[in-house]
Amino acid sequence: MGQLALIAVAAAIPVSTAHAAGTPAGTDITNTATATYAGPDGSELSVDSNAVTMRVGELLDVSVSSADTGDVGALPGATNQVLKFTLTNGGNGPEAFALTVDANAGGDDFNPAVTSVILDTNGNGAYDAGVDTVYSAGANDPLLQPDTALTVFILSSIPAGATNAQRGQVDLLAAATTGIGAPGTSFAGKGEGGGDAVVGATGADSNDDGIYRVNAASVALTKAASVTDPFGGSGPVPGGVITYTLTATVSGSGTVNNVAVADPIPAGTTYRPGSLTLEGTTLTDSADADAGRFTGSAVQVGLGSVGAGTSRTITFQVEID
Amino acid sequence: MKILLALLALLTPVAAHAADGVSLVSEVFVEHTETTPEGRSVTTRAEPEMVVPGDNLVFVLSYRNDGAEPATDLVLTNPVPDSVAFSGTTDQSAVVSVDGGKTWGALNALTVVGTDGANRPAEAADVTHIRWVLDQPVPSGSAGELSFRGVVK
Repeated sequence: MGQLALIAVAAAIPVSTAHAAGTPAGTDITNTATATYAGPDGSELSVDSNAVTMRVGELLDVSVSSADTGDVGALPGATNQVLKFTLTNGGNGPEAFALTVDANAGGDDFNPAVTSVILDTNGNGAYDAGVDTVYSAGANDPLLQPDTALTVFILSSIPAGATNAQRGQVDLLAAATTGIGAPGTSFAGKGEGGGDAVVGATGADSNDDGIYRVNAASVALTKAASVTDPFGGSGPVPGGVITYTLTATVSGSGTVNNVAVADPIPAGTTYRPGSLTLEGTTLTDSADADAGRFTGSAVQVGLGSVGAGTSRTITFQVEID
Repeated sequence: MKILLALLALLTPVAAHAADGVSLVSEVFVEHTETTPEGRSVTTRAEPEMVVPGDNLVFVLSYRNDGAEPATDLVLTNPVPDSVAFSGTTDQSAVVSVDGGKTWGALNALTVVGTDGANRPAEAADVTHIRWVLDQPVPSGSAGELSFRGVVK
């Protein structure tokens, strides 16, 4: 085979072809040229060149990218928390990829405990417990056709000791099972269609991080009382009215769901009907569509979901017996 | 690793046809450019048995007139192979076709129908054929070489 090298200034016109995966591995490229000319008698003659044939080898390229829109919120001690990744075969042949997770790299606040890696076998982009396939390294390395993608989920437990706003990252690494290496590294005869496999620009492996962020919102409840006695003072005397103000404040980050406040009426007092308010709005005493009620012995108010950094104020009145 | 030779001319193409007229030899090289530790850019050419998408190819056509008489009206035509995107030629005498060899011209004079149905200026990757029309007869015993470039799609 003729081989030569030259110090060259290659002045080719830039090409604007957009080939993602490119010509399929195993394709033959054949070049033949033709010459026509006038022979001695003026007749047109035609001659073909030899045919040069090259086989397209398999280019090994892969990309892994986090498919979450940002940090994934999780509570301390939570299990089966889902991170989502997209695995794409950027090569030009079918290729299986080995997946490795690392939750113990530095640069974060805690180490999530990875419990499983899941392949989105039904292709709906969402984790379906018991439906999608649990990944087992070497046993079911996902085989991807050129230019196709697969969603991969990582399920982790969050340490119980993780505190609000702490972040824990998990790295997903995918490597072509044919081989990895510096771009241009060649694996003779290992390519699709019997040609060589050649490592592409990605090095035939790729990784990305998904991040859990602890959203440990907490609720604090404060209670204040003010007394108005029948004589215009503030003495706790029979006939005096006590106004209780309950303030529920959510701190941290995220949202606390199903916040409910219940407060028994103190002994020696009687609830004043119709005195229950939430955020300044009167609530009826009966159990109905509004958020509050008087049970006969306590007031109950359902606050629903309360976002961190906000508070809700409840008031009610009792009369001193 | 790579054998360094000085000149392209050291390659002696093997004639594909009998020596009673014009013969034509096609060669294809793949170019790899590497930067040396000294920061120089070194491009190596090799005749590949295997290529991968993105490889830069150089197509070289060598013609020779082995007939006793001059060859006149010599026209050399090379269809751009499937899976190869034409990327240009430094040879100003070449004309190209973007419609499978029906019409010919300079690339910047040709148009193609775009995906929106309207005509747009042709790009290098649209080229389907390249052709050289020699305006001078090729004397007996005389030879020449033409080349163009492409990228494996």
